[in-house]
Amino acid sequence: MKHHLWYLLFLVLLTCVGCAQQKDIGIVQDLPVEAVEEPGDAMDMMLADDFYDEDDNALCEAHTFNDPLEPINRFFFEFNDKLYYWFLKPVNKAYTAVLPIELRFSFGNFVVNLSAPIRFLNNLLQGKVYDAGIVLSRFLINSTLGVYGFGDPALVDFGLEPKPEDFGQTLAVWGVGEGVYLCLPVIGPSNVRDSFGFAADAYTHPMVYFVDDIWVSAGYYAGSRINLLSLNPDLYEDLKAYALDPYVSMRQVYLDSRRNRVDDLKLKQRCDNDFK
Amino acid sequence: MRMTGKHLFVVGLFFIVSSYLSVAVAVPSPTESLKPLLNEMMTIITDPSLAGEEHKKERRAKIMAVANQGFNWTEMSKRVLGKPWHEINQKQRDNFEQLFTKLLENAYVGKLEGYSSQVITFNDERVKEEKAVVSTTIEDNGVILPVHYIMIQQNTTWKVYDINIEGVSLVQNYREQFRSILRKDNFDGLVKMLEEKNATFDGEGS
Repeated sequence: MKHHLWYLLFLVLLTCVGCAQQKDIGIVQDLPVEAVEEPGDAMDMMLADDFYDEDDNALCEAHTFNDPLEPINRFFFEFNDKLYYWFLKPVNKAYTAVLPIELRFSFGNFVVNLSAPIRFLNNLLQGKVYDAGIVLSRFLINSTLGVYGFGDPALVDFGLEPKPEDFGQTLAVWGVGEGVYLCLPVIGPSNVRDSFGFAADAYTHPMVYFVDDIWVSAGYYAGSRINLLSLNPDLYEDLKAYALDPYVSMRQVYLDSRRNRVDDLKLKQRCDNDFK
Repeated sequence: MRMTGKHLFVVGLFFIVSSYLSVAVAVPSPTESLKPLLNEMMTIITDPSLAGEEHKKERRAKIMAVANQGFNWTEMSKRVLGKPWHEINQKQRDNFEQLFTKLLENAYVGKLEGYSSQVITFNDERVKEEKAVVSTTIEDNGVILPVHYIMIQQNTTWKVYDINIEGVSLVQNYREQFRSILRKDNFDGLVKMLEEKNATFDGEGS
């Protein structure tokens, strides 16, 4: 109960911060994009990004990272690497051998469907009322026609695409910076903001309200992770095979893809998301 | 025949108009440059007479011949290396470009060969001066992946110098890795690492 209170308090606090920030965003959106010469979307951003420049200082800060904890992060990266080869990979091998792909795919759908409240709430918190409606429709369709979410008829038959939003992205939209990059044990790449978002999302997951046991939640999380791995078995090993420095490569992939997801609302350069 | 002012004017006009026309006709749009390139590569990958480990060398050579037409490896290498590019001589640049191209061949062409049922859709294109972005989606077994090709105009054609998948730039990813390596090591050390990395792909069945 104590945790809930803290969470609420923090939410209220953040909303205050968010309100102050929201004004700026409103102004940016009112202006025609051409007039301010700000990139309008991801494609404009890619055109504007010329990261080859005579003067290194002139480089857009967009691609920079804040990683003062690199030695510790590298330690946990190694730890996760060992965890992968010694534990996850053999477990996944057995798991894949026992369960056919169709079943694993369906379980993946179930996991995604069950976390719909997180996406619903965060779409609303970001002011994406229409998308929140789509999340709700998807949840209702998939929970009934899709048999408890094991199928995805909302996408296949109704063409409703998923609208992934989490609390980390909501915080970003509210103007909270990324904070330092973190490579967390077991969980993997993150940053201060997204770690907080991850913890907050755990509280809006329906699981915690049905089963009041941390071990059941942890087991469910571990199971969903193994399942996800079984559906994308080559991802990590490919990254390691192609990279000269897998730690840096993973950090870049994480930060870039997160910034890309956050950027879907804000018409701002990624530089502005920096913590510094 | 004596050239009068009027003649000169007409001839001049003709040259101006024709030069504009030739530019308009000769330079295809970025999408028009990219489409045949990707199609050709997919044709080679899915060609049954080139399939299998025994044809790997021949298949790779064909794919790379097509890729050399459509990619600008120099522009790519320049951006991947960043500032140190200016500090090395032409021989080192050529060597770096060759090693980096080889790494991309090993990594990504090898990966591409694993896919056979890809459907590529061209969604959008945007041009800004001599640069362009072509936005595509690749569908493979129900998984939809947005892939953006960043291109640069070169004479009468457009060439790819970066690929961006869901916000993750290929060039940027390697650039940060090289930057991190060069912070502790010198350029020769980086070259050695590239050589070692490429060696790990030798003899590997893919």
